[in-house]
Amino acid sequence: MIKVRNLWHIYEGKKEALRGVNLTFGNEIIALVGPNGSGKTTLAKHLNGLLKPTKGEVIVDGMDTRKHSVAELARIVGYVFQNPEHMFFEENVFKEVAFGPRNLGLSEREVEERVEWALRQVNLEGYEDRSPYSLSGGEKQRLAIACILAMKPKYIILDEPTTGLDEKNTERVKEVIRKLYKEGHGILLITHEMELVLELAERVVLLYRGKKAFDGDVEEFFGLDLREYDLDRPRLLTISKEAGLGFVRSVEEFLNALGMRT
Amino acid sequence: MMYTLYLERNSLLHRLDPRVKIIGSFFGVVVLILFNSPVLLASLFLLIVLTLVILGKITLKEVFKVLKPLIPISVIAMIIWPFILKPWYFGLFIGFGYGIRLLSVALLTLGLIMTTPQRDLILGFIKMGMPYEIGLTLTIALRYIPTLYMLTQTIMDAQKSRGLELERGNFIQKAKNTIPVLIPLIIASIKTAHELSIALESRAFGASKRRTFLHNIKMEMKDYIVLGISLASFLFAVYMRYFLGIGYIKLF
Repeated sequence: MIKVRNLWHIYEGKKEALRGVNLTFGNEIIALVGPNGSGKTTLAKHLNGLLKPTKGEVIVDGMDTRKHSVAELARIVGYVFQNPEHMFFEENVFKEVAFGPRNLGLSEREVEERVEWALRQVNLEGYEDRSPYSLSGGEKQRLAIACILAMKPKYIILDEPTTGLDEKNTERVKEVIRKLYKEGHGILLITHEMELVLELAERVVLLYRGKKAFDGDVEEFFGLDLREYDLDRPRLLTISKEAGLGFVRSVEEFLNALGMRT
Repeated sequence: MMYTLYLERNSLLHRLDPRVKIIGSFFGVVVLILFNSPVLLASLFLLIVLTLVILGKITLKEVFKVLKPLIPISVIAMIIWPFILKPWYFGLFIGFGYGIRLLSVALLTLGLIMTTPQRDLILGFIKMGMPYEIGLTLTIALRYIPTLYMLTQTIMDAQKSRGLELERGNFIQKAKNTIPVLIPLIIASIKTAHELSIALESRAFGASKRRTFLHNIKMEMKDYIVLGISLASFLFAVYMRYFLGIGYIKLF
């Protein structure tokens, strides 16, 4: 369990980025949403100790983040950054994925096993000898996930994993996220894409001006007046509502509800 | 994090044409090098401080803040002299002068930056004959310091999240630890530079040889007066040093 209690964060004595946030989560897919500057990234950076609380506390599986280094917490909480290129530095994909497990001090055999496993999870088997920078945008994103996955963290934070990806690659990333969730990982998904929230999340946490404005079930979330928070409801939901079909999570569900599928 | 030394004030020094300030500072540096008499150098130092405080509305606290990092170096310059010059108290006296000179040169150039917006400073250099391309390069370089600083922080965070410990190990290990940060940083910088050059060219950079400026500077009466005073003081200092032989102590 990750427990966030009355978390405040103030940047350089000025900007109050977080103002008393409480959050508890375990093995679930949570979407962390909110307009730009609402404190999403600040909150996420507290979960693996990159930022330390100004006030309040963050407890990760019983470990107080103030008393443990990021390297220690990285075994439990994985953080996939928004831009994959900000982490690639090795000459090939294999070494890139191996960097994390090697930092954990694992044996070379175990490192190899983990790299293979992680690449398989994101469907990048056979890419071991390619340069990370030669991959396509979607492949880079999946490689970034593999790099974190290879450290086998219990919780994974994904910062806008589908931004800039085309339909096909978005679909692949979604598949990876679903698979990881089924295998018992807790997923925290930071995103602006409400379609992604609708399809993947069980629970939604909405941050607004540094405070938690909503925390609950995804259906309830889309019942809110989202324009108040500078967010938009997915078209699919609007259409479905107009058609009197209620809450659906994907086009498929919508069509089923319409009775057009046999 | 402080990215620029410029301090926004409404003062005579701030309103002065950047060219006058650049020439004045240059004269000042030359004068500081002409003399080695500690008494004279200390007086010049006080003069610079007073000019900044009275004419530039810079507080003493701000003056001290920019000089603070240089104090150790000037102290070293000071304590080396007694080992070279005998008797030791004479050496210390001369060393004091050299220490003060170092601080004075630094304060003079920092004062220029503190009272002149970056844009005006570069425009001043261009008007004085520096090629426009170099001016633009300088502007871009300065503009990207905060951006690159932020990028470095992000990359460090990303690698720390993969278990990188920057502080671990001995000197060589620590140097090796920076590789995972440096490589993405260099690649991102090259990419940014490339994109920037495309953006510049797509806006027809270099299409005309002669450029006009959106924001222009013009010499006014006060600028000519200050320029005249600086030139006169400079000539007087040269006269003092070479014709009257004041302010220079022959050491060896």
